[in-house]
Amino acid sequence: MEKALTGRPCSERDYTLKIFATRLKEIVKERDIKYNSEAPIPSDNSLADDIFKAAFDFCVEVGAYCKDTERIIKFEEDEIKERLRTAPSKAVFGEGQDARTLIPRKPEDKTPPWCFLGAGGGPVSSEETFLSLVEGYASIPETNSITTPALTSVSGLRIRPRSPLEALGAIRNAVLAREAMRRVGRPGLPIMNTLATAESAISLAIALHPKYGLRTTDGYMIAIMDPMIVDFDRLNKVCAVLSLNAPVGACFDPLMGGYSGGPEGTAVANVAYHFIAALVYQASWHLPFPLHIKYVCSSTPELLWVISTSGQAISRNTHLLSLNLNYTAAGPLTEMCLYETAASVIAAVVSGLSIEALGVATNKYEDRMTPMEPKFSAEVAHAVAGMKRNEANEIVKDLLGKYMDKITDPPLGKKYQECFDVKRGKPSEKYVEIYNKVKGELEDLGVRFQH
Amino acid sequence: MRQLNKHAYACLDSKKVINIVAFSIGVVRRLALGEEEIFGKLCDAVVACDIRAVVEAANEAIEKGVDPVKAIENGLSKGARIIGDKFEKLEIFLPELLIAADAMKAGLDILLAKIPKDKTLKKGTVVCGTVKGDIHEIGKKIVAALLRADGFEVYDLGADVPTSKFIEEAGKVGADIIGLSALMSSTMAAQKDVIDYLKAVGEREKYIVMVGGGPTTQEWASEIGADGYAKTAPEAVELALELVKRKRGKS
Repeated sequence: MEKALTGRPCSERDYTLKIFATRLKEIVKERDIKYNSEAPIPSDNSLADDIFKAAFDFCVEVGAYCKDTERIIKFEEDEIKERLRTAPSKAVFGEGQDARTLIPRKPEDKTPPWCFLGAGGGPVSSEETFLSLVEGYASIPETNSITTPALTSVSGLRIRPRSPLEALGAIRNAVLAREAMRRVGRPGLPIMNTLATAESAISLAIALHPKYGLRTTDGYMIAIMDPMIVDFDRLNKVCAVLSLNAPVGACFDPLMGGYSGGPEGTAVANVAYHFIAALVYQASWHLPFPLHIKYVCSSTPELLWVISTSGQAISRNTHLLSLNLNYTAAGPLTEMCLYETAASVIAAVVSGLSIEALGVATNKYEDRMTPMEPKFSAEVAHAVAGMKRNEANEIVKDLLGKYMDKITDPPLGKKYQECFDVKRGKPSEKYVEIYNKVKGELEDLGVRFQH
Repeated sequence: MRQLNKHAYACLDSKKVINIVAFSIGVVRRLALGEEEIFGKLCDAVVACDIRAVVEAANEAIEKGVDPVKAIENGLSKGARIIGDKFEKLEIFLPELLIAADAMKAGLDILLAKIPKDKTLKKGTVVCGTVKGDIHEIGKKIVAALLRADGFEVYDLGADVPTSKFIEEAGKVGADIIGLSALMSSTMAAQKDVIDYLKAVGEREKYIVMVGGGPTTQEWASEIGADGYAKTAPEAVELALELVKRKRGKS
């Protein structure tokens, strides 16, 4: 906090354009970091290490920006090294039989990735839909933790930011999620996207009261804005969570095509965000979700390269706990959605990351998500743990060939209520057919599913 | 003119006529070349995102008596279209787009000052911002940059903008369009607030209201009574042009 109050004063425009974007472009050129469309999952360790070094120097030179004080938060080399040394190398989430330990992975690691499954904060229209979806997510055998949807209304009133409606929504988010997990017999599962409905610090603080069911063994995800910008509201959330001795997870989404530039700059920035998160938020786990600025998904070849190279850079050079969140362009009940999530999950897992799955159909349409997509993602994630990067590279190239021609106008598929029996929590026959077909195609490509 | 030339030719011998014609063609060519060169400089400077070069080229255009309207249309706007296309193909990225929009604006400030007030070149005036409670700005900045590049006068109010501020500012600058951005499902409702406010003060018909941003859709725009919704920034510019044209056609 002191650094945010005493750092060099600077306008946001100068920080974003003259400092962040300019220096990132220069550093990519100086280090000769180059994207290769033929290798969305590269096996070149030296490329990953170059990206790591570039991110380290970039972080030292550029720092983060505090919107409220209009100052740059800078760190010395030694401070970054010390934080990387002391950052947690494991974290226990959940309670009782559902408690699990999140540990770091390495590229081509056989250790099963942590599967943080659900809606990625996607919007839902009603509390009934929320409950039913979370029951579905908690029933997936590979689920280690839950990422809930976000309620958009409370008692028929649309939620407004920083309003009592948001606070009420955040409370219901916690209560309903716990209830859904109890209903399917997994009461100890952790919620790791805190409260998708609590955008403001005050709503989070209100809903943190123990009687609403949140625990210190849940994960508390707090965003860093693009490009490496924080503000008092988010720092207040960090303060509230750390005061409970609960684990802060930082989420960040460098946009490919935005301030970070092309895939090379986005990969470097994605790694630098990890350092800023560990330093500014005291984050004990990290949730990168780089996205394409136009298609708002993480399944283009450039984004797969960003996920893979930055994942390798982090997992080869640190013990930071990092999970990649992926977004698809296509929606439920489409083959494309499953191809896309398979490609992103494979890129993350063989590069040493765990996963959060997922934001479906760019995560913007109400109810356009089902438990089928995260279930499929987790099955792919477990199946490819230990796979060689070069083998994975060939598989994702085949997958890209199946959907990239539709990326500009992806099929949005159907809503949850249209492709699931909501009461029984079962997918429609048509969806099962699509799931089996895509799974079969992946098996033909060399993915060996466990069930 | 033809008559005058005929008369002039009659007074001269054929050799002199040939010399004068040759001289005149040379002058016209040099003038045209000079204009073309300046148009090229303006266009290239915008594409290179070089604010200083745009300012120099705009001043040169004024000094050499180049029609400022032509300088804008054939120089700055041409460059802006190239920049827009390059961003659409992601051959350039957001920082270049924002700097090119600044360069375009610097050139426009110089050239527009030389155009009589009654001969407006503006395609329209837009007041835009991210609605109350929402601090996400990147998408809105892209739309603002592309609108500026296309010749709109844009007043970007930033993020977390109070509802009444949109209406006050629109009145102050005589806006054609109010553009409302929202990135979160919880902040979309503030787009409706602006429309409700406009209705309450009896000014709904005065402005075109456009909405956009992550969670918004055409259905949402229709539900709250907005005039337009665009999924992407280039679509927003096309729509703004069409809606302003329609509005001006009505009045």
